[in-house]
Amino acid sequence: MATLHIENLKKTFPAHSKGSKPTRAIADISFEMSGQVFVSLVGPSGCGKSTLLNIVSGVDTPTSGTVEVTQDGKRAKLGYVFQDPRLLPWRTVMQNMLYVSDLSEEEGRANAKHYLEMVGLESAEDMFPGQLSGGMQQRVGIARAFSVSPDLLLMDEPFSHLDAITARSLRDELQLMWNATKKTVLFVTHDVMEAVQLSNRIITLAHGGTVFDDVAVDLPFPRKASDPEFAAHQAEILARFETMESERADRAG
Amino acid sequence: MSTATTADGKRYRRSPLRQALTSTWGARLTSYVAFAIVWQLLAWYVDRVPGPWETLDFIWREVSGGSHGGVRPGEFWEHFSATLVRFSIGLMIGFVLGTVVGIALGSSAFMRALLSDMLLVFLALPAIIWAFLTTMWFGLGWEAPVYTVILSAAPFVAVNVAQGVRSVSPDLHRMSQAYGVPRNRQIRGLLLPAVTGYLFTGLRFAVIISWNAVLLAEWFGAVDGVGWRARLWYDAARYRGFVGWAIIFIAFIFLLDGLVLSPLQRRAFRWRESAASGDEGLGGFDAEELASIGS
Repeated sequence: MATLHIENLKKTFPAHSKGSKPTRAIADISFEMSGQVFVSLVGPSGCGKSTLLNIVSGVDTPTSGTVEVTQDGKRAKLGYVFQDPRLLPWRTVMQNMLYVSDLSEEEGRANAKHYLEMVGLESAEDMFPGQLSGGMQQRVGIARAFSVSPDLLLMDEPFSHLDAITARSLRDELQLMWNATKKTVLFVTHDVMEAVQLSNRIITLAHGGTVFDDVAVDLPFPRKASDPEFAAHQAEILARFETMESERADRAG
Repeated sequence: MSTATTADGKRYRRSPLRQALTSTWGARLTSYVAFAIVWQLLAWYVDRVPGPWETLDFIWREVSGGSHGGVRPGEFWEHFSATLVRFSIGLMIGFVLGTVVGIALGSSAFMRALLSDMLLVFLALPAIIWAFLTTMWFGLGWEAPVYTVILSAAPFVAVNVAQGVRSVSPDLHRMSQAYGVPRNRQIRGLLLPAVTGYLFTGLRFAVIISWNAVLLAEWFGAVDGVGWRARLWYDAARYRGFVGWAIIFIAFIFLLDGLVLSPLQRRAFRWRESAASGDEGLGGFDAEELASIGS
């Protein structure tokens, strides 16, 4: 079981040039998540969500604090779905899948086919990303992340660049995929409805990078936005969110 | 045949001839025909301009090995192959050297600070300076042309490769890092394909510059080769010989670019559909590129 342990994480970006001030992205964040959970990290832009994911994935380093991603005591394997698909434009869909694979060529192909089938793109394996729509490219991005059998799957607003209809169908598919695989997922979004639909637990970050709220969502899957209980959960989280925003406005005023 | 509708609603047909003439193919043909006409007119009215037929006749005799003006049959190919060997060796070394320097320049701020001003010096030095210098250093022989080619071609390759390395998408680099893609796979899958376009531009520049350089250097610093041969005719005041050789130089570059470089480039860019349509031989250079080659 993958465990993500974050304790007193702080991140300040150094000043770009003389005269400019260092930027504090994360003031102080601590939380832990473990096992078959889908955790959403919700917050306004500039609350350090993406920075946090970059640190967890090892692309960026913290200024201070602890970030540990472990699987049975060893360093966990990560999958990452980005805001944009981030596919190699000069490689076919299959070659893009193999680029991140650490299996043998033959196993890698079979594995890639399996996950491409899961996102409905088994017929696109020989196409280049430029020949696919934005939604299809993001599907490849999702298949790629699942295909490395990650212990922890990081998703950074994966649907925010898609049109509403495509985003909705991909959310439904992700829900099914998660229920089939039960990966440990850390999902970043600014969309509360999306978070309520997908997650077991929602952590809300406040401006400046602190944890404001941490709630469990115990609704049965599959979830539909039209369900009254769904709406109630969403309303509750939004209400707390608005309280936070208005408190912030009061302090600023 | 295309039909179109005019503003007042009448339909008209464009004649096939007009269609052919206004196509890009027609435009290209027009430029050749116009060139030939202007050339012929000049030849009629100016004494020292040899006419197109006269020149073509000369080229044919020179290439086919016919004896004319005291020339041994088969001499053409001896000179041509001597030049081709110098050109190829120089270009290859210059290309490798330029690629190595370019990767260093593109990937490290320190190397950029160390090398970029020197590179500018080398870019600014015309091939003729190298041709003179290397002839003074090495005397007459194969060395001057080969070194002139290396010194002229390498900086252009370096500049382009450096740009290519810097163009590697940071997002794709971060993706590779997040997935822990091994370094050698990152080089093959991310760095090299990103650099390929720039590498081709660099190579095509280098080919043209090298060809200029090898001819120049042979003019001054060799006892055989194509450049030396052109000078022979020049010194003998045989204008059609000189112009004939100039045409042979140009034909060689056209063939090399059209038959080798362009198809290779198209192959490398299969993934970018737009590249296939806008790229035909030398037509693939845009005006800016051509202007900088001419300098």
